[in-house]
Amino acid sequence: MLTVCPYFHVHQPYRIKKYRVFDIGNDTEYFNDSGESDLNNRKIVEKVANKSYRPTNKILKELLDRHPDFKFALSFSGTVLDQFEEYVPDVLESFQELIATGRVEVLADTYHHSLAFFYSLPEFQRQVEKHDRKIQKLFGVKPRVFRNTELSYRNDLAKWCEDNGYLGIMAEGWGKYLGWRSPNYVYRPAGCTRIKVLLKNYKLSDDIAFRFGNREWENWPLSADTYANWIHAHHGDGHTINLFMDYESFGEHQWEDTGIFDFLRALPEMVFRHPETSFKTPTETIESYDAIGEYDVPDVLTWADTDRDLTAWIGNDIQRDAIAAIYRMEEDVMKTRKKDLIETWRKLQTSDHFYYMCTKWSNDGDVHAYFSPYQSPYDAYIAFMNALSDLQLRVRYALEAREVKERALREREVAEDTEKKADNKSDTPPSESLHDGRPAWKRWPHKFGRWWGKLVTSFPFFTSPKSGKTSS
Amino acid sequence: MKVLTFGWEFPPSKNGGLGVACYGLTEELLQKGVEVIFVLPRSQDTVGQARFLFADHERQVKVRHTDVSLRPYGQSDTIIDTLVGYDAQGKPIIRSRTILEEVHRYAHQAAAIAQEEEFDVIHAHDWTSYLAGVAAKLASGKPLVVHVHATSYDQAAGDNVDPSIYKIEQEGFAMADKVITVSNYTKNILIEKHRVPAEKIEVVYNGCDTSEPPKLQPALSELKQQGKKIVLYHGRISIQKGVDYFVKAARRVVDVDPNVMFVISGWGDMTRQIIEQVGAMRLSEHVRFAGALWDGERDRMYQSADLVVMPSVSEPFGLVPLEALQHGTSSIITKQSGVGEVLKHVLKVDFWDTEEMANQILAALRYPVIRQQMVKEGKQQVQNLSWTSAADKVKQIYRNLVQYATS
Repeated sequence: MLTVCPYFHVHQPYRIKKYRVFDIGNDTEYFNDSGESDLNNRKIVEKVANKSYRPTNKILKELLDRHPDFKFALSFSGTVLDQFEEYVPDVLESFQELIATGRVEVLADTYHHSLAFFYSLPEFQRQVEKHDRKIQKLFGVKPRVFRNTELSYRNDLAKWCEDNGYLGIMAEGWGKYLGWRSPNYVYRPAGCTRIKVLLKNYKLSDDIAFRFGNREWENWPLSADTYANWIHAHHGDGHTINLFMDYESFGEHQWEDTGIFDFLRALPEMVFRHPETSFKTPTETIESYDAIGEYDVPDVLTWADTDRDLTAWIGNDIQRDAIAAIYRMEEDVMKTRKKDLIETWRKLQTSDHFYYMCTKWSNDGDVHAYFSPYQSPYDAYIAFMNALSDLQLRVRYALEAREVKERALREREVAEDTEKKADNKSDTPPSESLHDGRPAWKRWPHKFGRWWGKLVTSFPFFTSPKSGKTSS
Repeated sequence: MKVLTFGWEFPPSKNGGLGVACYGLTEELLQKGVEVIFVLPRSQDTVGQARFLFADHERQVKVRHTDVSLRPYGQSDTIIDTLVGYDAQGKPIIRSRTILEEVHRYAHQAAAIAQEEEFDVIHAHDWTSYLAGVAAKLASGKPLVVHVHATSYDQAAGDNVDPSIYKIEQEGFAMADKVITVSNYTKNILIEKHRVPAEKIEVVYNGCDTSEPPKLQPALSELKQQGKKIVLYHGRISIQKGVDYFVKAARRVVDVDPNVMFVISGWGDMTRQIIEQVGAMRLSEHVRFAGALWDGERDRMYQSADLVVMPSVSEPFGLVPLEALQHGTSSIITKQSGVGEVLKHVLKVDFWDTEEMANQILAALRYPVIRQQMVKEGKQQVQNLSWTSAADKVKQIYRNLVQYATS
């Protein structure tokens, strides 16, 4: 028996517009480019909806209808779901229809497609919880298998998943950690006793995600038939073929004219032609097989580039500077307790911003250039840092305002306390004396006209009903 | 392989990037066993030094000086005063000629030289030498390589080109067996504006000096002590170089951060206009004119600046960001610059977009990490940008031409 476990990752970031130094302090909208550039988030989502989401979901729905045993998994970033809701609600509905079949599993993730796990565990947990609520609200399901941004993985992340009740986690099946072993089995993460890790078969996954439309590739053009044979060849030396890739591989990375849609349409049938082969969701896969060994990943592993590490995001100085700057703000941002500031801060955590600053030019660098909407990594850095500077200003103002408010509140409380005491002491009318413990302005506002006027304009709460009454 | 090369300037005479490029290429060609006869238009004060520079290669290189005196980069009708001798009273005799006249004189000399010398290929650098190259080809029948370091479109910073230079260019490109440009940017100008067939053009990027220079005494230390940030322009002050856009951007920068000081190092036919512009924009406190700086003075300025801007309206290659990089300073260049094709670790802006130029200046000064990284990674990148690889390409071009001519 051989399992095929496909999983597609759906994501769009909020790209930062060309935010200039002059905008700092003057413009609080960082993501609202409305021009013709690729920084216009609405335009991009609408474009990808037409090229990928709409046609692919149509095919996936047909496949689910036609093959009662066809199954797969999806993961969504919260930022893509928000943009679906705002820009293309019909796309969201089509995803809801897929998931309503019960044969499409939704995975846990960070809401903001961030690398928070490696920078701030509390923030990471808040984002996972927020994501969990969003998935339950939109799709009515509770994710049980975790995948982290860019498939980033480390032993302690697996341990966190185990401690937080997940059944399993996904990771890249990378030779450095597998050694001679095959990715086509279920493994136990090092340091865990209960959960399992599903490993991406990168060869077969990348045949679709990266190589499919490449005319230089020796296997071009790839038919679903051939591909099913490749999968079938693993019969006997594996339990599960985990095909993990970006959802946007269908129609966006591999354009329609490569024949990718025909390939997808034909694939389940071709797979089913082989005996003893079935599709499973990640949860089913984890539940069907025992772990055959341990997967020990002490350093960060991702699905990116030939390095399979985080160097595409934090490989150079500007990237490390930018990401350090964003997480340095955590304490202050959280202290403001302002939803919009916290949300904006999180949108800036999305890993794509750092990816755009990548300067690995050779080989991999070309891929980055393709996926970046900025003219250069330096333009990306400048837009990011300028937006961040503005956010820092807003956070500082918010904290200052809060401090002023709190100080005034404290003062009012003290004032009211003393007032009560004074009222209890005597019923005599207010005297000219300033020594009865009541602030002078409360008794004789006319005497302090100018001062009073100033105070009222600076601190509007002085005119609230309560204090108004006592002062009149 | 023997090549008869016509140039217009050569170190250590102080001019622009042309002499530097001719020197860098010639040295490497010699290393690769190509015999170079480098013809310069005239013996100048630099005569002795030039010979001295080539003393190591005496058998291979002859520096010939013909009897003309010229400066490059002018318009064709720029008047040049030449000291031709002294009269009986010891007063100097000055003769004035236009560049165009000099270029034609040079061509006459070239024909004579071509008949005297033995060589396999002719190589003519920049428009002032094209006619010399053509004349030498007609006199000898040898193949001609025309090397484009700048076009009339660059110098005019637009379509309002000098018709006489354009005519010389057209003749040079038509007669050349191969045209070398210093960037794809320039190649495209030749294809679009001069209608040169693309297959006739080869791009050979200039090399650059990647040796680590000594740390020099800082310049402008009194400004540095005041905590001023220094943004440097270095180059000729002419319409091609876009200094006027630089000044406009400076105004925008100073509005936001008055702590920035702009230094303009160089001289040229627009100097007066730029000084007036600085005054009119009330920037006198924020712009310093350093005059033309050379050698150590220039290097000190590069090392002391926080940022270098090359605001060129049209720049076939552009040595400034590479020189700045060598001295550890990062640059902003315009998208209308060829050097951007090989040096990615710079900020790029359209020359006319002074708002964005100001944004980039402010951002680069504000976030020092971006400058550190552009220097660090830029230095690695230009390691590949050597005169050796340029010479390899040029030698291959010679070889193909000779093969073609003899078969």
